[in-house]
Amino acid sequence: MDQERKNKILPYLMLMPAMAIMAIVVIYPIFSCIATSFTQEEAGGFGLENYLYFLADPMQLTNIGYTLAIVLVTVVLAVGIAYLLSIYLRFSNSRVSRWIGKLYLLPRFIPGLVAVNGMITIISNSGLLNRLSRLFGADWQLGLIYDAKGIILMNLWFNIPFATMLMGAAMSAINNSEIEAAKDVGAGKLRIFWKIILPLTYRDIFISATFVFMSNISSFTTPYLMGGNYPTMMGVTMYNLYGNQHFGRSAALSVIMFILSALSAVMYIYVNMRKDQWEKN
Amino acid sequence: MTEQTAQNANVKLRISNMTKRYSNGDGVSDIDLDVREGEIVTLLGPSGCGKSTILRTIGGFIGVDKGEILIDGKPVQNLPPEKRPTAMVFQSYNLWPHMTIFDNLAFGLQIKKVPKKEIAARIDKMLHLVHMEGHEKKYPTQLSGGQQQRIAIARALLLEPSVLLLDEPFSALDAKIRAQMREELKRIQQALKITVVFVTHDQEEAMALSDRIVVMNKGVIEQIGGPTEIYDCPKTRYVASFIGEMNFLPGANGTEIAVRPEDVWLDDAMEPEMSAVIRTIMPLGHYTKVGLEMGEHFLRAYVPKTDAAGLRVNDSVALTFHKKYVYNQNGGLQQ
Repeated sequence: MDQERKNKILPYLMLMPAMAIMAIVVIYPIFSCIATSFTQEEAGGFGLENYLYFLADPMQLTNIGYTLAIVLVTVVLAVGIAYLLSIYLRFSNSRVSRWIGKLYLLPRFIPGLVAVNGMITIISNSGLLNRLSRLFGADWQLGLIYDAKGIILMNLWFNIPFATMLMGAAMSAINNSEIEAAKDVGAGKLRIFWKIILPLTYRDIFISATFVFMSNISSFTTPYLMGGNYPTMMGVTMYNLYGNQHFGRSAALSVIMFILSALSAVMYIYVNMRKDQWEKN
Repeated sequence: MTEQTAQNANVKLRISNMTKRYSNGDGVSDIDLDVREGEIVTLLGPSGCGKSTILRTIGGFIGVDKGEILIDGKPVQNLPPEKRPTAMVFQSYNLWPHMTIFDNLAFGLQIKKVPKKEIAARIDKMLHLVHMEGHEKKYPTQLSGGQQQRIAIARALLLEPSVLLLDEPFSALDAKIRAQMREELKRIQQALKITVVFVTHDQEEAMALSDRIVVMNKGVIEQIGGPTEIYDCPKTRYVASFIGEMNFLPGANGTEIAVRPEDVWLDDAMEPEMSAVIRTIMPLGHYTKVGLEMGEHFLRAYVPKTDAAGLRVNDSVALTFHKKYVYNQNGGLQQ
C-alpha cells in the first residue's frame, strides 16, 4: 500500500475503537429507546399512544410544566447571579473578592448527594434554621423542602459556581486597557457596562444558560430527595414510570426530554457559531 | 541652558514631590518634573523602574500617596481619569474590538455630546491626519498592529487633551513599523503642537523622539535632559550604562572610568599610554566594531570604516581615550 493511501485510512482505523464503543453504549440505546417509545403498551404494535399519554394526561402535563418552570427560574437566577458575581470577581481587587474567587468553586467539589442532604438538614421544617429560631422563641417553618423553592435553591448551589466559571473566562478576556481607555474618553461605570462589557460577554450568558438548562432539565438527585409527591420533575416521573413497568411511557418521556434539550442545544450551536461582524476577518 | 528655557517656557504639566508606593514596595518617590507646552518628554528606564507608574498617575489610573500633579496650573491628582484633560494610548489592545473604527473614534465624542455632524467631520479630519482614511467601517482585528495604534492615537487626539500620554505604544510592533510610527508620531505632534509624555524602555526610541528624556532607575529620576545632553554628560554611572554603549574600566580608589566606544581611538604611537590587542573585528557598514583586550579587560571601539582597513586580529594597538568619565563609588560623576 502506498504511503498516501495509508495516511488516508489510518485516521479512520484509529477512530474505530471509539466509534464501536459509541455505537454500542450510545447510538444503539438511543434507537432502542426511540423504538420502545413507539411500542404501545395497551393497543399493542407501534403507535403514538405513549406520547399522547403525556399530552393528554393533565397530571403529566403539570409535571412537564413544573419541570420547565423550575428549570427556567433556575436558569434566570443562576445565570443572573453568576454574571454579576463574575463581573465583581473580575473588576474588584478587594480582599472579599479575592476570597470569593478562591472559594466559589468549592460547591462543585462536594458530591451532589452529600450537598442535598446537608441542605435538607439545614432548611427542613425541623432543621438547623428552625432549631436556631426556636432558641429565640420563634418557630420558622421555611416550607422549602418538598417544594419547588427547595429544588431551585439546591440548583442554585450547583449551578452558580459553574456559570460563574464559564462567564469568568469571558470576563478575563476583557483587557484592562479596554476598560481604562473607555474611562479615559469619559465613560462612567454604567456606560462601560452597557457599551463595553455586555457586548463582549453577552454570548457567554447564552452559552451558560444552555448548559444550565440542559443539566437541570434531566436532573434527578435533587428533585428525588427534595421534591414532593406531586407534581414531580421529569427525571423523577420517569423513574416512577419505569419502576411501574411502563417502559414505553418512560421511553417516550426520555424522547420528550431529549427534544427539550435539543432545543437548547440548537440555541447553543446558533450562538456559538454566530460570529459578530467584528470577529470576521 | 535647558534649565533656563524650562523656567521661561509655559509649563503644561507639573509634577511636584510626588510619591506612589505599592504594597509590595515598588513605585516612585519624590518625583519632580515639569513638562512644557508642545514638548515631547520621554520617561525612559528598564521595566519596574516606575516610568509607567508616573504616566498612570498623570492619567488618573492610579492615585498618589503624596505630592501634586498640575495640568494647566490646576491640581488633578484627585480626579478620576474621565475628568482629567489627558488622553492615554496603551501598549496594545487599545481599541474596543466590537466597535468599528468610526465607533471607536466617536465613543468619547458622543459622551461629550458633540453633535453628530461635527463628530463625523472631526473624525474625518483626524483619520486624514493619521493617514487612515477609508478605514471607518472596519473592525480593529481587520487592521495591522501599526494601523491599530494610529487609530488609538487618533482616538486620544480627538479628545483634544492638554497632555497626550503614551505607554510604550509601539513596543508590540516589529522594528520597521516601530521606526515608521516614531516618525509619524513626531510629525503629528509637530502638526498639532501637542504636549506629549511618552514611556519607553527603548533608549533608541527615546533618543529619536524626545525633546527631553527622563532617565529613571528604581523609582527615582536619575537625570533629566535633552538626548544629546544625556548621551554626552551622563550624570551617573547608571545613566552612562543605560544610554548608548559604554566601556567601564576600574580607576583609582574604587572609581570607575567610562569611555564611549567611539571615544576609544586606535593609533600607532611609539610610546603609547595604553596598549591593547585586537581580538575581534566586526564591519558594521559605515563603522567597524573592534573588540580589544587590554590586560584583563575587554573594550569595544567604534572605528570609522576607512581607519579600520589596516587593522588585523592579534595586532597590538595603542589607545587614547578621546573623552572619558570618572564615576565615584556611589555612581556619581567625578569629572
